[in-house]
Amino acid sequence: MTVVETATSTADSRGGHPTVASRAKEWAVKAPDQLAMRGKDFGIWHEFTWEETWDMVADVAHGLMALGVDVGDRVSVHSEDRAEWVIMDLATVAVRGINVGLYPTNPHAEVEYTLNDCGAKIHYAEDQEQIDKVLDQPRDAFPTVEKIIYSEPRGVRGGYTDDRLLYWDDFVAMGKEHRAANPGALDARMAAAEADDVMTLVYTSGTTGPPKGAMLTNANAEFAIDVIIHAEGRTPDGKPPSHKDQALTYLPLCHVAERVFSTWSLVGAGVVLNYAESPEAVFANLREIQPTLFFAVPRIWEKLHAGIVIRGADASRSKKLILSQAMKAADRIGKARAANGGKWTPGTKAVYLFFNFLVFRAMKERIGMRRVRYAGTGAAPIAPEVIEFFMGIGLDIYELYGMTENSAIATANFQGRVKVGTVGEPYPQVGKDGLRIDPTTGEIQCNHAGVFKGYWGKPEKTAETFTEDGWLMTGDVGEWVDDTHIRIVDRIKHIIITAGGKNISPSEIENTLKVSPFINEAMIIGDRRKYLTALIGIELDTVGNWALKKNLSYTTYRDLTEKPEVLALIQKEVDRTNEKFARVEGIKKFSLLPKELDHEDGEMTATMKLKRSAMEDLFGDLVESMY
Amino acid sequence: MAFNRPLLRTSYAEDAAILPTAFQKGAVGIALLLLSAMALDVPIVSAIPKFLLGNTWLSPFNNMLIFCVAALGINILVGVTGQVSLGHSFFMGVGAYAAVLLGGDGSGGLACVPFHAQLGLLERTTRCGLALPIWIWLPAAGLAAAAVGILVSPVAVRVRGLYLAIVTVGLVFIGQHIGVMLPEFAGDAESGRRWPPLEFRLWRRNDGNEDNPLINFSEDGTWFGFLELSDSQKSFFFLLGVVLFATVLAKNLMRSRTGRALQAIRDRDVAAEVMGVPEREYKRLGFAISSAYAGVGGALFAVNLSRVGPPEWSLLLAVDFIAILLIGGAGTIAGTLMGTFFVELLPDFVERLTESQSEAAEGSGVGGAIARFLLTDGSRNDFGPIATSAQAFGWPLPVPLWNFVIYGVLIVVFLIAEPLGLFGIWLRIRNYWKGWPFSY
Repeated sequence: MTVVETATSTADSRGGHPTVASRAKEWAVKAPDQLAMRGKDFGIWHEFTWEETWDMVADVAHGLMALGVDVGDRVSVHSEDRAEWVIMDLATVAVRGINVGLYPTNPHAEVEYTLNDCGAKIHYAEDQEQIDKVLDQPRDAFPTVEKIIYSEPRGVRGGYTDDRLLYWDDFVAMGKEHRAANPGALDARMAAAEADDVMTLVYTSGTTGPPKGAMLTNANAEFAIDVIIHAEGRTPDGKPPSHKDQALTYLPLCHVAERVFSTWSLVGAGVVLNYAESPEAVFANLREIQPTLFFAVPRIWEKLHAGIVIRGADASRSKKLILSQAMKAADRIGKARAANGGKWTPGTKAVYLFFNFLVFRAMKERIGMRRVRYAGTGAAPIAPEVIEFFMGIGLDIYELYGMTENSAIATANFQGRVKVGTVGEPYPQVGKDGLRIDPTTGEIQCNHAGVFKGYWGKPEKTAETFTEDGWLMTGDVGEWVDDTHIRIVDRIKHIIITAGGKNISPSEIENTLKVSPFINEAMIIGDRRKYLTALIGIELDTVGNWALKKNLSYTTYRDLTEKPEVLALIQKEVDRTNEKFARVEGIKKFSLLPKELDHEDGEMTATMKLKRSAMEDLFGDLVESMY
Repeated sequence: MAFNRPLLRTSYAEDAAILPTAFQKGAVGIALLLLSAMALDVPIVSAIPKFLLGNTWLSPFNNMLIFCVAALGINILVGVTGQVSLGHSFFMGVGAYAAVLLGGDGSGGLACVPFHAQLGLLERTTRCGLALPIWIWLPAAGLAAAAVGILVSPVAVRVRGLYLAIVTVGLVFIGQHIGVMLPEFAGDAESGRRWPPLEFRLWRRNDGNEDNPLINFSEDGTWFGFLELSDSQKSFFFLLGVVLFATVLAKNLMRSRTGRALQAIRDRDVAAEVMGVPEREYKRLGFAISSAYAGVGGALFAVNLSRVGPPEWSLLLAVDFIAILLIGGAGTIAGTLMGTFFVELLPDFVERLTESQSEAAEGSGVGGAIARFLLTDGSRNDFGPIATSAQAFGWPLPVPLWNFVIYGVLIVVFLIAEPLGLFGIWLRIRNYWKGWPFSY
């Protein structure tokens, strides 16, 4: 493998503002044989070098031009994470189009809404399932969509006659033809790229109201690559992300966090991307890839933590004996390190080295984290206990904070200066000039080069998100900790004011509940009410396992939630949580949700965030019964 | 790139590798080096087999290596294809006689006396062979056995389970009978005829002329100008090579399309056929491959003993292989090799143990007392279970009979407690550490 220096963000020699596409091209010139990505197909990880990757991007870009994609046209992608996703993204940016990502779980209605909201011209739908979400509607429901490109022919070819359909291979062949006929066309397009070009619309998940497409520009992306990926000291030991790093791409690429940690890391630092086969296969893929850089949402960390606890409880007697000692040690190490800014003390290091050799090393290998040198968490609040546990086994998780509207750039914890329970300090390039807390409302506000251009086609909504002096309102209430770090209290909209007039942040309580391996989802209710109650969703796997061991037979999820034994089990977990909070913040009553929450049923967003108002409507009876 | 990421497979070749990880490659390499060092009498390491099996450990060990070849064959038929066969000794015999007809002494060609005219003329009849070199007779032994295997397969593929076992037992008796009936080929029923020595030549041995072979495995000599080797050391390296070759071949078969078809038939023949596996063809193929291994093993077995009478290819020999499979673990190469190692070397180990016990019996203290209790010379007031005098019939049992008892007990124990055999035990140990620090 050729060793190369990290990509610099100098402008293309032939002019044009640097884009993610021009960066990809630079890699292909500088390090054509370097590995860029891997995708798994029929049990084998196929490898793509930079030369091959750029070649595909160029073919696809020419294909888009052949289909008439002009500057500013929208190209939507509706797919699980796979090489085609990133290639479509880069190719769209190369032809100065606008990439729009859809969540694979988006149901029919949301697909229709999004495609029409952005006015997509070309739509990439991975397979039959995603194609059906478009073809099931009459043709005039999607007035702007001209072509639907698909990669998985199963069930489509031979069966579907819609003339908008175009098979990937045919599309690439079309691109090759166009490329041969117009050799300079792509370079010319790329050379005309401007800083202010919108490169992608990232649709906010829409916990309230319909999703809005946040416009991110090339300048935003460049700033994000500079600030987040090349941030001084963000990754441990001063080693920035490089082509020696492996990442597993598994969160939806249409989300800004995965975009930063996958596509932008790929073009910004040459990090090798490995596409997870499917959401179900993530944990198996993790073991195979053993990534060195890993970003996860709290839900994943909670699952990993629960997995360790549950499997530990099922281990044989001798293993359990050693494991319980190791877990106690991890707890102590984690607490000591958290109190020390994440730094090791000689004592914790000694204990760690002993248990690392004996237990932690194997444990991390089993969950695929053996080679992780930097792990991040963000996109939702996480319970400090989870971070402390992983710190204890030597897996340092750094909490980050950002949102779609500021290109995920706000704060991060840095090595040696970690404050568990905070989202860290503003990036050096942002500083306190780019981030402030409104003294009256406590809202965090941003003003830096990463702040988005506005919502697509919604100027009035855009105006609502900015203060009068032009700062972006994040909608999160935060407070300074030691004047350097920021602690997020909650979303402004979520703050509960009880009938007694007390302000309570529900997410803290919810996250403490979710530390329990038995609790999957929790929602605290109590706005304008006398006391707090909770709707709790149990984790089917772990509670089912627990019931099995107790010889408790059950049929369905709902049946399980109605067992008095299960209620008692969850009551214990609730009591444990109540101990950690003040009396007014205690949960008086709780109900178990009778079903698993789902994106398609409208209870959650695609990013698995609760749609609180929808929940209160759907489970209104359940809520009222507690008061 | 996949370094340190053993589960990251970037090609099917990597995915199907016989030794997928560097660790496994290293372990096998070190094991082979150790074994070679033991055979070369390197101090310290060679003390281990000498302590366990006595100073002449190489000779039973070589015998064990030969059994490995034949056992790999029965594993393909019984373990992989699931066709229970008790006729393995018959195919070994076929291979052995093919070898002796091609490679055995003869005065410039087959010189066998016609049937019945030969009584009392055994010297002449044993000079019946083409005196061809090993590179012809060893593969030919396998091919001949495979051909016979194909010949009997039309009968064998029609029956299953117990019936197949009985059909194959029939083969053993037919084979023994033919052997006794044709002494001009097979030699005297008691002592058998003489097999060619283990040596490598380019072409035929010239009768009468004292020409030296290129490599002679059956006499002491020097290799590479400095390596003083005994005949058994030379044979050891030759046989080790054959076993390695046979193992790689069997391993490759297992991971090929053919191997998967055979395993599908084992798991459920009807289901396999529904999936498009031509059952009879693959059963026949299984028979042929298994017989080829048996043929090669049988030829080497006879060559190693130099004289084998026709009754040697007996049911007992076939049962030996079933014991190997059951104790080692049917269906796996590693299990087969472990089983052969265990079953074939156990008698020598027991014998060695008895020897050391009788030495200990002379001594005093606890060791001596235990030894005196265990051993008996057959006199009346001595109730020890192990007889030292070979003449003793009935209780107490002499060592060779104890070996049978141990086999029997082991087979029963393994069938009940560990149906996957020694390999199963290894699996458990491996899984215990593989799952560390969890249980799954």
